[in-house]
Amino acid sequence: METRERRRRRPRPRTAEGGRRLQSAGSAIVVALAGLAIALFLNAPGLHKSATIQPEGWKRDVALAVTGPLQSVSDALLLDRPRRALKSALGRSDDDEIDTAVAAPQPKPTTPVTTPETPAKPVKFTPKRKLGLWIAGDSLVIVPGESLLRAVAGNRAVAAESVDGRIASGLERPDVFNWFTHIREVMEKDKPRAVVLMFGGNDDHGFMTGIPEGREVGTFGSPSWRAEYRRRVASVMDTVTRNGAYLVWIGLPISRDADQTLRFDVINSILQTEAAKRKRRVSYLDTYFFFAGENGGFAQYIEDATGKLVKMRADDGVHFERPAGDLIAAKVLERLEEAYDFTSWRGR
Amino acid sequence: MLFPTATFAIFFIVVLPLSWLLQPRPERWRPFIIAASFVFYAGWDWRFCFLLAFSIAWNHVLALAINSRSSQRARKQFLVLALVGNLGLLGYFKYYDFFVTSTNNLFALVGLDLPLEARSILLPVGISFFTFMGIAYVVDVYRRDFTPVGFGTFAAYLSFFPHLVAGPIVRPGELIPQMSSPRDPRYVDTSRAFFLIGTGLFMKVVIANYLAANIVDEVFGAPNQHSSLEVLVGVYAYAVQIYADFFGYTNIAIGIALLLGFQFPQNFDAPYSATSISDFWRRWHMTLSRWLRDYLYIPLGGNRGGTLLTYRNLMLTMLIGGLWHGAGWTFVVWGGIHGTALCVERWWGGRPGFVERPWTRGRRAWHRFVTFQVVCFAWIFFRSDSFADAWDLIQRLFTAWGEPSPLATWGVAAAIVVGIGSQYLPRRLPLRIMARFSRLPIPAQAVVLSLALLVIHAMGPEGVAPFIYFQF
Repeated sequence: METRERRRRRPRPRTAEGGRRLQSAGSAIVVALAGLAIALFLNAPGLHKSATIQPEGWKRDVALAVTGPLQSVSDALLLDRPRRALKSALGRSDDDEIDTAVAAPQPKPTTPVTTPETPAKPVKFTPKRKLGLWIAGDSLVIVPGESLLRAVAGNRAVAAESVDGRIASGLERPDVFNWFTHIREVMEKDKPRAVVLMFGGNDDHGFMTGIPEGREVGTFGSPSWRAEYRRRVASVMDTVTRNGAYLVWIGLPISRDADQTLRFDVINSILQTEAAKRKRRVSYLDTYFFFAGENGGFAQYIEDATGKLVKMRADDGVHFERPAGDLIAAKVLERLEEAYDFTSWRGR
Repeated sequence: MLFPTATFAIFFIVVLPLSWLLQPRPERWRPFIIAASFVFYAGWDWRFCFLLAFSIAWNHVLALAINSRSSQRARKQFLVLALVGNLGLLGYFKYYDFFVTSTNNLFALVGLDLPLEARSILLPVGISFFTFMGIAYVVDVYRRDFTPVGFGTFAAYLSFFPHLVAGPIVRPGELIPQMSSPRDPRYVDTSRAFFLIGTGLFMKVVIANYLAANIVDEVFGAPNQHSSLEVLVGVYAYAVQIYADFFGYTNIAIGIALLLGFQFPQNFDAPYSATSISDFWRRWHMTLSRWLRDYLYIPLGGNRGGTLLTYRNLMLTMLIGGLWHGAGWTFVVWGGIHGTALCVERWWGGRPGFVERPWTRGRRAWHRFVTFQVVCFAWIFFRSDSFADAWDLIQRLFTAWGEPSPLATWGVAAAIVVGIGSQYLPRRLPLRIMARFSRLPIPAQAVVLSLALLVIHAMGPEGVAPFIYFQF
């Protein structure tokens, strides 16, 4: 009996399938903690960038307070070199760089914009001479952008490849994604003649980066905030239209959150006034009432042209569903057709 | 709170040691793990916690009520009440707007304007998963397969954070007994846990995110803008993306549970190496397949009522399984394609005089190829936002050969090859890797883990896209 009892108490084998050793919970905790700690140093540049591009708030402050010194130590001990080498091998050396340069002139609120505006001519585009179309912006532009791509898909006079939509980006945070640099590069390299932009969905707060030295920007909607945001919007519009491209800027829609709608109104008013200053080359598309319900407030489901009830807005109360994208795309196309002739070749 | 984030890492390095410290005292461990799971769940939206609490209370009370009755009729009445509560919850939060718009549009066809209004209801993350686990619990109690446990144990079972938002769907008999007694801290399968977490992170962060960003979203967003080659590669890429995404999530979930001392069932077994659709469903989302079989297909009658009824039951199971994935008709069609394929396979194998030929290498390869094509064809409907989009994509697949295909890059091809090729690796390879890892000294294990995290973090894109299955 004793022998049997002893056998029963004998620890079961410490290996599992394939001969792997089972270890104590303490070992698991040590490996997990030490592994994560070493990984923190190895990935310090990426973590610091992730911390930097977070939305303003205590989480960002804490993350920066941790990752800043972490990056310094990692750099001093050369622990960040394997990551840099790996990024370089992948052709993504710039991934961990934080570019906050805003290539925009200083604000001149009282002086009207003097950018030369060439009168819009109904320039004709054909399958041999295609209209280059570039669609870009934050995540809000993705669904209408895809609708627009589908809408022009059968038109051989239009060349458009994809929607350049960058999630969580905007004009306030060039550290997250520097649109000012990117727009300039695309306009110089690809030279699109028609550009569709949508920004502002992530800009409804007071935290800006890339502010010129010596300047201070107040809270969201304050005069200094408006001046700086206006400067950035104007810069984008001028960069796009400088060489004759036509720009359709899609305004922000009504949001489920009434406070956010009010903040969007502030951004929309800046977009609208800046577009009005360049009305021959920039068209502001007001989307606010496309998605308002019968009482004028937010509505997720709206009847379409055929009277069918369709879901227009995503569950987050901000983004668009496909039918909304199709509606916006149709309006954008109308605007583009006012500026350019890319359909008459079909009649020949 | 997403697994591959710093927030979750901080959460877990706090929970892991505390969980082991409290394990010897279940009366303290249970409230702790329930609280930790609610904190995890509140990371999405704290209001969802009330829903989870309601689901726990509802299923617990009704399981006790079922168990306390000896009359079959009374037991059945409580079971029906439990199911109505669970399905009502799921129906309201997940399907109400779908039902309203579908009904309104149906009546609009005959000129009737119904006063039903959509309510823009926010879908609570993971509701489909914990509702199915709640149903499994009350049904098992009703069938006398399982005796109800105390409130704390049941709450820990249903809310346990590793499986809470996207499974695997763990049955009461698999997890509750583990939670009823303290885990042995001397024997933890750490090498398997770290292997699963590492491979899961790689599949999600590197493969799934890369394919989504570089071809899938583009092709499915505007199919008529892309060449036939891009569409074809895009469909294959989506097949790999959804596998890498969900397999990755499940691996991380199983690995995290293992580190806490709990065994979860396997959820994937190389699904793209399946030789038939029925084989596919034995390998893909295995815990859902088992759930559908045991709590839907068999109660419907299974294959006991003759050929036609078997086909009906198969179709119903797959159609409902499709609808479980999303409130949309495209998901129903996805389920319908799988249901039809299962029926065809059953008919083919059941023909008089049919004799199964022995598997040769060529025959196996051909069956795998055909099965993969059917699965990919069904994915088109699963991923498309509407039938019009799915149709555009299918048309485009045949009508735009020879056009430029800038999205069909070597990088995309490599990611697809890794995603599919990983399912054909010898089964002993991961076992060898795990065994070798487990024999390393503790500091070396930590270094290997950190290097894996370095590679995954460096190769992955900035930010982490949500897991696809969260929306289900």
